[in-house]
Amino acid sequence: MSLSVQQVRMDNKHPTVKLSVHPSRALMDEAFVILVQNVPPGSQVTLHALHRCEDGHRWEACAHYVADSSGNINAADDCSVGGSYFGVEPMGLLWSLKPVPGSKPGLRMRKKNVQTPMVVTISVFKGHHTEAFMDQVPLASWVVERWYMAPGVRRIPITEQQLTGTLFLPPGPGPFPGLLDLWGGGGQLMEYRSALLASHGIASLALDYLTSKITTETGKMVDNQYFETAYRVLQQHPQVLGSRIAMLGLSLGTVFTLKMAVYSPVVKLRCAVCISGSHIQPVSGGPQQMMDLFSRNFEKISFSEQDEVIWRGLLLPIPSDPSLKVDVGRLQCPLLLVVGEDDQNWCSHESATDMKQMMERAGNDQLLTLLSYPETGHLIEPPYTPHTPSSMFRGAGVGQKMRVLWGGKTPEHSAAQEDSWRKIVTFLRRNLYGGSDPHAIHLSHL
Amino acid sequence: MFRSHVSVTTIRPAPLLTATPVRTLVDEQACIKASFLPSNHPVTVCARMRSDEGDLWQSFAHYNTNSRVNSDLSVGGSYSGCEPMGLFWSMQPAPGERDGLRLRKKCVESPYTVHISLLEGHVSPNQEPVKELAAVTAERWYMAPGVKRQEIRQNGLVGTLFIPPGPGPFPAMLDMWGMGGGLPEYRSSLFASRGYASFCLAYVGHKDLPGPPNTINVRDSYFQAAFQFLQDHSHIAADKVGIVGLSYGCYLTFHTATLAGVKVGHRKEHVEHQIHLPFQSLLSLKHILCILQILMKPLVLMQLEEITCPLMYIVGEDDLSVLSIENADLETLRAAGKSHLFTRLSYPGAGHLIEPPYSPMSRASFWVVKPEKLMTVWGGHPAPHAAAQEDAWKKMLEFMELNLRR
Repeated sequence: MSLSVQQVRMDNKHPTVKLSVHPSRALMDEAFVILVQNVPPGSQVTLHALHRCEDGHRWEACAHYVADSSGNINAADDCSVGGSYFGVEPMGLLWSLKPVPGSKPGLRMRKKNVQTPMVVTISVFKGHHTEAFMDQVPLASWVVERWYMAPGVRRIPITEQQLTGTLFLPPGPGPFPGLLDLWGGGGQLMEYRSALLASHGIASLALDYLTSKITTETGKMVDNQYFETAYRVLQQHPQVLGSRIAMLGLSLGTVFTLKMAVYSPVVKLRCAVCISGSHIQPVSGGPQQMMDLFSRNFEKISFSEQDEVIWRGLLLPIPSDPSLKVDVGRLQCPLLLVVGEDDQNWCSHESATDMKQMMERAGNDQLLTLLSYPETGHLIEPPYTPHTPSSMFRGAGVGQKMRVLWGGKTPEHSAAQEDSWRKIVTFLRRNLYGGSDPHAIHLSHL
Repeated sequence: MFRSHVSVTTIRPAPLLTATPVRTLVDEQACIKASFLPSNHPVTVCARMRSDEGDLWQSFAHYNTNSRVNSDLSVGGSYSGCEPMGLFWSMQPAPGERDGLRLRKKCVESPYTVHISLLEGHVSPNQEPVKELAAVTAERWYMAPGVKRQEIRQNGLVGTLFIPPGPGPFPAMLDMWGMGGGLPEYRSSLFASRGYASFCLAYVGHKDLPGPPNTINVRDSYFQAAFQFLQDHSHIAADKVGIVGLSYGCYLTFHTATLAGVKVGHRKEHVEHQIHLPFQSLLSLKHILCILQILMKPLVLMQLEEITCPLMYIVGEDDLSVLSIENADLETLRAAGKSHLFTRLSYPGAGHLIEPPYSPMSRASFWVVKPEKLMTVWGGHPAPHAAAQEDAWKKMLEFMELNLRR
């Protein structure tokens, strides 16, 4: 701060300005209400959010408001007239966060440590500003914590049978419905979605299937049995209801979700969720064969005007050869497909259309729910975190990082994340907790 | 490896119990819902937590599900009827715990962790066997993120200052508790969590204060210095400082506000006895109680007329520890032309210890244990006392808002 505190006292003609954000501690997918009170009626103010992520990068967002005749602003009801977002957007300050000017290009915000909260400082400034917030003193500030893990959720590393994963168990006696959670081609062990699902009552196993310990040590990719082993570990866990297990995949994760759902004699799913993915794959192959398929089609890559890599053509055109796509007409459990119509990384929209047609022809399309979002890109994640239209990305096993185009326009993509997440959690709960089974057996744990 | 027995139940596997939000400030509501239960089914919701001293507190309520998923009326247990926060305020020490307990958070930087569970049937949580169907863990915090806590030991002052996040300057409160002594921080930390800097001040029964622990050994100048400390603080707006007191703290609130040199932005009081006592005459806490019941009315009335700022007076009508109700006399104030400054909140069924909302109450507890155990009956009945705490806190914050911010 360049001003002394004494000067603050003199300049700050509004010691009565009150800023509150409730709840100040929330789960990542919970909404908050930002209230500003006691500013001069009709005056211009800027709401600002600042977050320093785990990598040390700073992210900020701002919005311009005009106080009403009582001197109040409610970000849940009032319109932003400028800044990082426009209109009535209660959570806009979070989803419109962008790296501060001067940051490294191509950043993507992903929390690695889910046991600590994301801390955001929300401030209100006099006037309408879009920059140089660090040089000004706000009228008021508040601090919020955003958590991936609810209190009582247990985090359990899973290393048995050569698996690399983390299981999140909800609080309580259990047993709980379970879920196998697969991310995409970047690999690594991303825990945050599983932690959040456990906070909603689902025992969720985040599984690293590309950069697992065994792959790192041997240089060899795992095969399809790896997924079946993970399913078995989940099914046999004393705190998991073996008959109520789902799979959720994003991007490359959808390939194995669909493969397991339709073809595996071991994996019996109550339901499946596939986000931004495809059924196109060598049906009898595993991860290595999928990577080989990408390599063979490398000439189908294109580039944007900013030299960002566009991979959506890699699996097109939709094949008619049955060995090259999962026969979803044989699916026996409910399937929720979530796709962004501006997905520049996978041909998820075209794939979803093909899957729908296959299921209609087979007569099992009542199992399908398709959520298709305009102006929405590839990375459809839990809500209220920044949208990444493109970022530096290294595929697992690939030598260098490239600037990859994911797609999507920020306001529409963020709305899609909020809507789809709510529907995903409802779908999972309905299929995993609900269902009419009068002779349901409760397994006691002795 | 783990399953040797399979039992059949009419409740389909895993009903779901949720609390929204799971992390709240103590004065915020949490909504507890049970889903995926069969209809016409008796269930018990039970809440348990441990105090900072390790004592187990618990509450429970009996519900019947009907064709709607959630049923709102408790038909028995620690509370009955429609009480969204009943599980929290109706908690009592579990059977077998120590006598005479009162729930007061010592460490405000950590939350209370409340384990809320759903049990099959209408049961008491201590009756064996108890079948837990689902559970959720909620955290109840006394401090919002970003609030700063500073121990103050300067110029003879003994207290803790809480500053809200942000640049300030902030309106502030001087916060004083009763003759039980020590330094309870939890009300101040909550005020700071609502945007008011707050300084809780120890004046008796604290190891860092001079003299014997069960007498008040500080003079008027101590309270003046505390008030001045707030006014002089760089993060505090000097013309927006108020005082709050509970029990004996009310007397001090009153007294401090009328001291020469103390100009109070507004003032608020809270269950009280209005007696003028020279500090030096207090010998022991046991004697205090007796003296305070002898009302010295003329002195009291002189005090009231000296108000120069808005005063809120909160009293529980079932307060059994002091004769509070008789103390507030509107006639005198009217005669002095000052009745517009005075707000009186009087709660039937509420006892002496009107604390922040949704906190369990103690009808009686140990007030001191050394040199001899002294149990005090505070009064109050759980449901009306809880309603009083909720309403009084809300009105207190509105009163502070009106007088310290506008």
